[in-house]
Amino acid sequence: MSARGGFLAALAAAAVLLALYPVVATGYGVRAALQLFMWVALAGSWNIISGLTGYVSFGHVAFFGAGSYAAGILVVKAGWPWPVASLAGGGAAALLALVIGYPCLRLKGPYFAIAMLGLNEVLRALVSYFEGLTGGGSGLSLPTLEASVPIYYAMALTAAAVTGLTYAVITSRFGLRLMTIREDEVAAEAMGIDTARHKLYAFLLSAVGPGIAGGLAARDQGYIEPVSVFPLAMTITMIVMVLFGGKGTVWGPVLGAVVLFVFQEVVWARFIYLHQLLFGAIIVAVVLLMPRGVLGLLQIRYRLPRTI
Amino acid sequence: MNVAITPEMVGQVVISGILSGALYAMVALGLALIFGVMRVINIAHGPFLMLGAYTTVILHQSLGLNPYLTLPASMLLLFALGVFLQRTLVFRVVDAPELSSLLLTFGVSIALVNLAQLGFTSDLRSVEYITGSWPLGPFALSKSRAIAFGVAAIVSGGAFLFLGRTRLGKAIRATSQNRDVALVCGINVPRIHLVTFGLAAALAAAGGTLLSVIVAIQPEMGQIWTFKSFLVIVLGGAGNYPGALLGGVLLGLVEQLASLFLTAQLSEAVAYVLLVLVLLVRPTGLLGGRQT
Repeated sequence: MSARGGFLAALAAAAVLLALYPVVATGYGVRAALQLFMWVALAGSWNIISGLTGYVSFGHVAFFGAGSYAAGILVVKAGWPWPVASLAGGGAAALLALVIGYPCLRLKGPYFAIAMLGLNEVLRALVSYFEGLTGGGSGLSLPTLEASVPIYYAMALTAAAVTGLTYAVITSRFGLRLMTIREDEVAAEAMGIDTARHKLYAFLLSAVGPGIAGGLAARDQGYIEPVSVFPLAMTITMIVMVLFGGKGTVWGPVLGAVVLFVFQEVVWARFIYLHQLLFGAIIVAVVLLMPRGVLGLLQIRYRLPRTI
Repeated sequence: MNVAITPEMVGQVVISGILSGALYAMVALGLALIFGVMRVINIAHGPFLMLGAYTTVILHQSLGLNPYLTLPASMLLLFALGVFLQRTLVFRVVDAPELSSLLLTFGVSIALVNLAQLGFTSDLRSVEYITGSWPLGPFALSKSRAIAFGVAAIVSGGAFLFLGRTRLGKAIRATSQNRDVALVCGINVPRIHLVTFGLAAALAAAGGTLLSVIVAIQPEMGQIWTFKSFLVIVLGGAGNYPGALLGGVLLGLVEQLASLFLTAQLSEAVAYVLLVLVLLVRPTGLLGGRQT
């Protein structure tokens, strides 16, 4: 069997195992796996705009929060069923990306990064301000519903869709153009690539996943508040996951999300007071020691294809 | 808005805006120096300010020192911390893509906040040293804010004299204008980076000292200052040091006017819209960017 066939077989086996997992799992196990899928979706989405296209979004959790609130409001105020509301959360995040991306994607380098950081702070302020709709600082409670297992499958589908999307983009001409923009935007423009439009498309694609995941997470938690759905630390966590796994690759974000999430559950839970300090140390270590990530290193050493 | 807005109220917020603007300008000058010289945005700039504020509060509460007299101590301490961080960590990412330096300084930033939480707890602390206000015609001049304005003006003025008149200051500006040429002229660029990072941290610390007399402090107070300082240098033009002063006063005015005409909660959103507009319409800032 070829390496590719073996990989596909392993992937299919993993999918079957994960699909059967809720049958044997405890409630905690399902919730933990659900969060892992959420991180895969978030890290994979950040990878599309920042890993592939080279525009560092330092406030990507804004789309997660926007999706959470859009879905939460639709469930509470309009009585939508949660799967539809979560999809609408993805739509709301894409709309936000369109409105914000049109001006902000003209900014280069650190300016774009900080503009996105600011967007997140502003959304948090706006959500607190419009109390009638969002419940303001006291938050928004969703009606009680025991749906961990359906949300598990929905989140797994979202993570798989984001990863599949990344594969489709990386292996397409569209993806090649995005990578050209990342390497040299002026050259890309000179080659006739409509950079503004391609960046905007990449930005939209990278916003939908976090929006849907945000809606699902809101349904799962049953309660959302401005501080819990717009944390800067969440943006940084997805960035570090991608960096650790290997940015600009298909499986890097998945690998990074799995390793860091397991590490977080197993190790950090024991060091509650030093949590942030350790996280800071991990960030510094990843930036200084492995800027290309695990898959990036393997790609160079073993001449692996860029579609890994 | 149910309350009628009188000209006196507008005058009052203009005064408050200018007063807080000087503080913004001084703190942002530090961020502008690091950005200008190394092209690094230091996310830990706000936490530096927080540590400066704690230095003052601790010295005031344990030794009973006048909070304003702790200014040199807080600036020196943070200068040392800045030099240490540059020497151990930041120098490794000076030439790396912006993602590396943003993430590295973010890592430093949350580690500092966590250490402050462990050392000082998350309780609000304040220095009740000077309260009340001086009357100024129909307006009131908050004493602590007016003193902060004066001290910030003196410290910023000192920083400009240092940059403009001393050999070391000129070397810093030369490095900021063109690092390679500075290197060829015999300037020890790594040493300039050390001094710049220390100086920037000291300016943030001065802001923290002054702020601790005005508002209650806590370990997470710093984050928003990083963003505000960045806004100030964008308004003024990145790498343009006098521009930072103008940007600071402008941000102070915009925030105060927004909280008068809209609400305090929306003033951040207004500041953000201003940031995006300036970046789009005049990306080099109001006074123009670095002249290189």
